[in-house]
Amino acid sequence: MATLNDLKISEVKLSEGEGGKWGMVIDQDICTGCQACVAACAMENNISFVGEEDSGYGRSMHWIRIERFWEGEYPEVKMTPNQPMLCQQCGSAPCEPVCPAFATVHSQAEKLNLQVYNRCVGTRYCANNCPYQVRSFNWRDYKRPEPLANQLNPDVTVRRRGVMEKCTFCIQRIHKAQDQAKAEGREVMDGEFTTACAQACPANAITFGRTDDPRSLVSQLAKRRGHGAKHLEELGTLPNVTYFKGG
Amino acid sequence: MIKRFFDWLKQPLGLIAVGIVFLALFSIAAYGLYTTQQSPEQPIQFPHKTHVAFGIQCLYCHPGASKGPSAGLPSQAKCWACHNQIQKTQTSALLAPLKDAVLSGQSIEWVPVAIVPDFVQFNHRAHIAAGKNCEDCHGDVSQMNIAENPQVMNMGWCLNCHVESAGEDQEKLVKLTDCGTCHY
Ligand code: HEC
Ligand code: HEC
Ligand code: HEC
Ligand code: HEC
Ligand code: HEC
Repeated sequence: MATLNDLKISEVKLSEGEGGKWGMVIDQDICTGCQACVAACAMENNISFVGEEDSGYGRSMHWIRIERFWEGEYPEVKMTPNQPMLCQQCGSAPCEPVCPAFATVHSQAEKLNLQVYNRCVGTRYCANNCPYQVRSFNWRDYKRPEPLANQLNPDVTVRRRGVMEKCTFCIQRIHKAQDQAKAEGREVMDGEFTTACAQACPANAITFGRTDDPRSLVSQLAKRRGHGAKHLEELGTLPNVTYFKGG
Repeated sequence: MIKRFFDWLKQPLGLIAVGIVFLALFSIAAYGLYTTQQSPEQPIQFPHKTHVAFGIQCLYCHPGASKGPSAGLPSQAKCWACHNQIQKTQTSALLAPLKDAVLSGQSIEWVPVAIVPDFVQFNHRAHIAAGKNCEDCHGDVSQMNIAENPQVMNMGWCLNCHVESAGEDQEKLVKLTDCGTCHY
C-alpha cells in the first residue's frame, strides 16, 4: 500500500488551485520604502491604530508592511531592496481550509480570499497557517479619538475586537468600479481604478489589475520584465502578487 | 432550607405565586417582542401616504436610489420648497418641527427603519437597474403614514431573491451568492 511518503510533492494535489483574476506587480527596485502605501491602506480600510504598547507585543494591524532584510556580516552589511508584503490572495490559500467557521473563504466571483468578519469567531488558525504572516487580529476595540472617527470609510466594515482581518485588494473599490461600469453599460477598463496602496505609491512601484487579461498593464509588465518572483511559490499557494528585483 | 421552599411551592398559595411569576415573565417577553415590531417615533410624523398620493415620485425625495448605494433622505430645503407655499404649514402642529428646523438650520434626525448592519454592503443602484421596484423590498410605502419596515431584511431574504433572480445563469448565481458581494 502506498503511504504518503511514497508520493512525490508534485503528485500531491493539496487542493484545487484557482486561476487568478486580480493581481499585483511590485517592483522592488523602485520602491523607496517610504511607507506611503502603509498609511494609505490604513486610511482606506479603517485599520485601527493599536498604540505603542500593543505594537510592542507585535499586534500592529497593517495590511501591508515594508520588509527589510540585511545581507552579509558587519561591517559589510548590505540592505536588500525594500519588500512590500501584503496578502498574496493565494489561489490555493493555506488559511482557508483551516478555518473551523468557514469565515475565510474563496470568492468564486472575484477569485480573492475573503475574510467574512461577521462570521469570524477569532480562533486565529488562519493567521498561524499563513506563510506570509499578513493576517492581523483585533486584540482590542481600539479607540478612535473624536475627529478620527469622521475619516472612516463608509464602504468598509469597522471591525470589532476578536476578529481577524487582512488585505482585501480593496474589494470595495473593485465593486465600485464594476458598479460604475455597469451603470454606464461597459466593461471595467484597465487602470480605471486601483488599490489604495498603488494609488499612493509616489514611485509607481505597485501596479494592480486583471492578470487574466493579457492586455492589462499588470500582464504586460509581468511579460516585459520576465523574471518575476512569487514568494513561497514552492508551497503551492499560487500567489497573485509578483515581485521584481535586480533588473 | 431548599426542601422547605419546595414544600411551600406545592401549596395552593405557592402554586399561585409560581403562576404569577410565570405570567409576569411571559408578558415582559411578549412586550419586548412587541416593541421590536413597532415603527420608531420620528421627529416629524411624515405621511408618505399623503405625499405619494399627490403624485410625487419616490425618486424625487430619494434620488440616490437610482444612482448609488444609498437612497438618501431629503433635507428640509426640499420639504420647504413646497411647504413654504402651503397655508397649513403655518397652522399644523405636525409641521411645527419642520418650521423649527428650517428656521434654525439644524438637520432633521430621522430614525432609520430600513437598515442592514454595518457589515453588509447594500447597493440600491444595482437593484433599480435590474428592474426591481421599491415595493419589492419596502412594501407599499404609498399607503404608510409613518415609515415602517414590513420585511425582515436578513441574509435569507437577500439570498432567496438573488437565487431566484439568477435563475439558470450560473455566472450570475455565483456573483450574487458570493460572500464578497455583500460582506467586506
Ligand atoms: C416628499 C418626499 C418623499 C417622497 C415622495 C417619498 N419619500 Fe420616502 N421618505 C421621506 C422622508 C422625509 C423619510 C424619512 C422619514 C421617515 O422615516 O418617516 C422617508 C423614509 C422612507 C423610507 C424609510 C427609510 C428609513 O430607513 O428611514 C423608505 C423605505 C421610503 N421612504 C421609501 C419611499 C418610497 C418607496 C417612496 C415612493 C412610493 C417614497 N419613499 C416617497 C420622504 C419622501
Ligand atoms: C411636492 C410638494 C411637497 C413636498 C416636497 C413636501 N410636502 Fe409635505 N405636504 C404637501 C402638501 C400639499 C400637504 C397637504 C397639506 C394639506 O393637507 O393641506 C403636505 C402635508 C404634510 C404633512 C401633514 C400636515 C398635516 O397637518 O396633516 C407633513 C407632516 C408634511 N407634509 C411633511 C413634509 C416633510 C417633512 C417634507 C420633506 C421631506 C415634505 N412634507 C415635503 C406637499 C409637499
Ligand atoms: C432589493 C431591495 C430594495 C429595493 C428594490 C429598494 N430598496 Fe431601499 N433599501 C433596501 C435595503 C436593504 C435598505 C437598507 C440599506 C442600508 O441599511 O444600508 C434600504 C434603505 C432605503 C432607505 C433608507 C436608507 C438609505 O439608503 O438612504 C430609503 C430612503 C430607501 N431604501 C428608499 C428606496 C426607494 C425610494 C426605492 C425605489 C426606488 C428603494 N428603496 C428600492 C432595499 C431595497
Ligand atoms: C427583490 C429581489 C432582491 C432582494 C430582496 C435583494 N436583491 Fe440584491 N440583487 C437583486 C438583483 C436582481 C440584482 C442585480 C443582478 C444584476 O446585476 O443583474 C442584485 C444585485 C445585488 C448586488 C450587486 C451585485 C453586482 O452585480 O455587483 C448587491 C451588492 C446586492 N444585490 C446586495 C443585496 C443585499 C445585501 C440584499 C439584502 C439586504 C439584497 N441584495 C436583496 C435582487 C434582490
Ligand atoms: C446578498 C447578500 C449576502 C450574501 C451574498 C451573503 N450575506 Fe451574510 N448577511 C447578509 C445580510 C443582509 C446579513 C444581516 C442579517 C441580519 O441583519 O439579520 C448577513 C448576516 C450574516 C451573518 C450573521 C452575522 C450576525 O452577527 O448576525 C453571517 C455569519 C454571514 N452573513 C455570513 C455570510 C457568509 C459566510 C456568506 C458567504 C457564504 C454570506 N454571508 C453571504 C447578506 C449577505
